[in-house]
Amino acid sequence: MAEMWINMGPQHPMTHGLWNMRIKVDGETITDAEPVIGYLHRGWEKMVENRLYPQIIPMADRLCYGSAFTWSHVYCMAVEKLMDIEVPERAQYIRAMSDELQRIGNHLMWLAAIGTDLGNLTMFLYATRDREMFLDLFTSLTGARMTYNYCRVGGVRNDSPPNWTRDLVRTLDYFEKRLKEYDMLVDQSKLFRMRMEGLGYMSAKDCINAGITGPVLRASGVKQDLRHNDPYEIYEELDWNICTHDDCDTWARYRVRMMEMQESVNIVRDILKKMPESGPIRVKPPRAAPVGTAMARMEDPRGESLMYLVGDGTDKPYRLSVRSPLYVIISASPQLLKGYRIADVPSILGMLDVCVGEMDR
Amino acid sequence: MTDKQISRKEKQLGLTGFIFKPMYITMKQFIKAVVNRPQTILYPWEKMATPDAFRGRPGLIFDKCIGCGICMRICPTRCIDLVEVDDLKKAEGEEPKKVKRPRVNLGRCLMCGYCAEYCPTDAMIVTPDYELATFSREEAIYDPYMLQHDWKPGYEVHIKEVLPSEVNKVFEPRLRIEHKDIPVLDDEKCISCTRCAKDCPVDAVTMVEVGVNERGRPIRKPVFDAEKCISCDTCVEVCPKDALTMKEAL
Repeated sequence: MAEMWINMGPQHPMTHGLWNMRIKVDGETITDAEPVIGYLHRGWEKMVENRLYPQIIPMADRLCYGSAFTWSHVYCMAVEKLMDIEVPERAQYIRAMSDELQRIGNHLMWLAAIGTDLGNLTMFLYATRDREMFLDLFTSLTGARMTYNYCRVGGVRNDSPPNWTRDLVRTLDYFEKRLKEYDMLVDQSKLFRMRMEGLGYMSAKDCINAGITGPVLRASGVKQDLRHNDPYEIYEELDWNICTHDDCDTWARYRVRMMEMQESVNIVRDILKKMPESGPIRVKPPRAAPVGTAMARMEDPRGESLMYLVGDGTDKPYRLSVRSPLYVIISASPQLLKGYRIADVPSILGMLDVCVGEMDR
Repeated sequence: MTDKQISRKEKQLGLTGFIFKPMYITMKQFIKAVVNRPQTILYPWEKMATPDAFRGRPGLIFDKCIGCGICMRICPTRCIDLVEVDDLKKAEGEEPKKVKRPRVNLGRCLMCGYCAEYCPTDAMIVTPDYELATFSREEAIYDPYMLQHDWKPGYEVHIKEVLPSEVNKVFEPRLRIEHKDIPVLDDEKCISCTRCAKDCPVDAVTMVEVGVNERGRPIRKPVFDAEKCISCDTCVEVCPKDALTMKEAL
């Protein structure tokens, strides 16, 4: 039978945004694939070159709707390294706590999306309902639901409101019960597992060669997590484990993300124990950065995000370059897809947690 | 499929696996949802309570504003500009004074709250208004009169911070206005044009005679009052010879 190209996207329910997955099929079998992006290109890196340093923080929030805080966090870390500012201890704890809450929120968004991808609408409703609790926590902490504008160069915007710790502990208790329900709902459902097990195999060697980071790499059994390997903020002082899985398929990626949510709950509880009660949370940053370069990287919910900053002595950056984790993972998607059936495409690509905002910039 | 995978699946799924456990969960949640009705609110009539920190559209306390333009400069999308309007307070039988006040294009506003955060006199506030839909783009541009909003405690943003040299030492966080940047003059470049003194919103600049030039005319240089100054950068921007720079408190 003749081979043919199929365009999945830019308007296809599988894509979660504006991008195009071109797939070459021989009957039902995928023989080649080609991701095409550029439909959501906003010229972000050029846009920030004529903004002041504090003005870029709300822009960095808008890189990704799912994990806005981590992107403004990595930007602030890069500027702090360039300006050589020290961050107060309490601000570091608040930042790490917000990172972990953001990780839970982002993984819940991914869980909702993968539910609809695989035809499980119950999963979507339950996951969005539970994500709403974390959005409410963020609203009372930062003042906005999705684009927080909370991280600042040299600290965070404001301290946590009264009774926020109490609300947080209650939410975490409730959420841990929910996680067990997800286990029963998805892990022990034969229909769900039939669509996930043994798909999208990628060995640890291939993952490292392709530059894949984050949960996809950890699902191949590699113990690589920047919170452990290149600790930023106060992650050295916390007790936690790296979640890995040895199966290298989409089922392993699913399990790693579910385990990471549980681990994030543990990290937040640990942070609440060790956080100093009071203290300054914000430092007045200088207006202009010195001439030089700085690089900061951190563990985004999707992988390793990196920002490289060049300062030229003025109050605007000369160049700000972004390494998006998903851009690298999507480039490796032909390797993931080759040899599988066309019906497996949503479950293989949905497991990567696609966010086009950070991919296209 | 390897042997290991088969055995694992049998162990985890067991006899009740397949679809019964998911159906049990769904049924439990369904009964919970039915018992705890209603789950939604009638939106236009009932509204969710917003938390204290909630950021809606920016608002303006007209009388507190001094027209310094800090909000205009810090806005990331440049949706704020200063316009000349009639002052609200006017004496009996006189024409109202012309004052500069911010005008906000809410169609471009990010609701980031920077204008309220950087405002030196707490004139810009963050209000909880979020219903901002309009029929045309012109209606979304709020002039200073429309931008006014009732004040309640907590609407203004007070950010307390320390200087970079004081981190991890015992220092109480202070308001931004207490450690401000002061403009400094480069005597070589100054041409005594007095524009900084004319444009200063708080009259912190006074022109002082420092001598006479070769033709016998007086040479006047600006002197800055550190108490009054709000470090708004207006003088630095209007200076035609770039003689002024900000000396930062670090």
